[in-house]
Amino acid sequence: MLSNKLISCLVLVLLSGLCSACWTWAADDADITATTSSSAAEHDWTQLDDDEDELVIWDPIESFNRQVFWFNDKFYFLLLKPVKRGYRAILPKPVRTSTRNFFNNLATPVRFANALLQFKGRKAADELLKCLFNSTFGLAGLFDLGVGLPVGSDGEDFGQTLGYYGTSPGFYLVIPLLGPSNARDAVGSVADSLAYPVTSPYYLQLKPLEVTGLQFYEAVNALSLDKDSYEAIKLEALDPYLSVRNAYMQNRAGRIKK
Amino acid sequence: MQKFKIFMMVLLALPLCAFPVFSAESPKAQIQLTVDQVIKVLSDKQIQGEPRRQVLSSLIRARFDFSIMSQRTLGKYWRSATVPEQERFVKLFSDLLEANYIGRIEDYSDESVSYGAETIDGDRAEVATLVNSGGTHIPIIYRLVKKGEDWFVYDVVVEEVSLVRNYRSTYGEIVRKEKFTGLFKRMEAKISELKQSSGSAAIK
Repeated sequence: MLSNKLISCLVLVLLSGLCSACWTWAADDADITATTSSSAAEHDWTQLDDDEDELVIWDPIESFNRQVFWFNDKFYFLLLKPVKRGYRAILPKPVRTSTRNFFNNLATPVRFANALLQFKGRKAADELLKCLFNSTFGLAGLFDLGVGLPVGSDGEDFGQTLGYYGTSPGFYLVIPLLGPSNARDAVGSVADSLAYPVTSPYYLQLKPLEVTGLQFYEAVNALSLDKDSYEAIKLEALDPYLSVRNAYMQNRAGRIKK
Repeated sequence: MQKFKIFMMVLLALPLCAFPVFSAESPKAQIQLTVDQVIKVLSDKQIQGEPRRQVLSSLIRARFDFSIMSQRTLGKYWRSATVPEQERFVKLFSDLLEANYIGRIEDYSDESVSYGAETIDGDRAEVATLVNSGGTHIPIIYRLVKKGEDWFVYDVVVEEVSLVRNYRSTYGEIVRKEKFTGLFKRMEAKISELKQSSGSAAIK
């Protein structure tokens, strides 16, 4: 099953390489005109600053992506949200926070390995130390003892590692049930799934149904702690698809640069 | 007498060096002032509904530079727009941003905010803040520009995502496809939708 996923992702990447010859790059917020003035009052505010890179988003399969976006939206409002609300009503917040901490602690190998791959020694050491403390004194990761970085702050993943070595994001991709991604990050998450104990075929060797169940549970739990940010985006944005696409790409670019 | 002379000289010179130090408040202090005032208003149970929105509105409008934000959002389309179009856009965009911002902070009223580093580069500055929301930390950076003695926000960066650049990509696409008429229509519809939803209780 996993090798199928891997192969389809590789095919996607190959396709993206082929397509790039025929498709033009759509500059998302590109605005290339020479800047002349830069003094305080006379500053031309319609230009981005010199230190702000133009974020180029390539979305050759936009109509397909929009359909998946629509599907994910329906899936969220019709299934995930009711489940999330019920779950939130049953379990008190500390329990849900501990559940999140547990899964977060379990994913340490992914973040640790990717920090190492990017020669971020300090970050790797922090991850290791945090995992050691939380797994023991923090009772199998249920409690965050506050060592190293706070839970949920930007951990490394393989998509970022690829970006660190200069891989471009490739085309934008909305994955059914999983949401926004791109060619590079899709490959990255397959690689990361090999290191994540829940999905890895190496160490726990869970059955496919168990893996799906655990991942669904993890997602519902995470959503129950979220402040309805998707609802806020949907409410605020003139075009939620464009807004999410841009936010995803900005966030990834920013995290790779760090 | 000699001593008195020196004393007088020092006394005269004092305001010269003290003035630039104390006259302008740091961008961090100014952001903190606004955020603290907003939190105070939100936690005050005496002010509710429309009056509260009025107070929040005036606090936000005093600290945000909506004109600069508009120019950055429209980019090259700003330069090609007519003056009435520009004015109309600033008006609608201010209303929209304000409604968005008030909607968001009403959700985050129970959170604590800590202030990080401030970097000043000429007339620009960045103030890093960290919103603690139930154990998760959300980094929010305010970008400010100095006008006179005061600092004004022209962009907010939440988890690496610049608000203005996010709008820039969406609005640019809409103007390109639907012209300003299409954009204004969408913005007006959105503003009334936002006002309705924040009028009713939070959608939880």
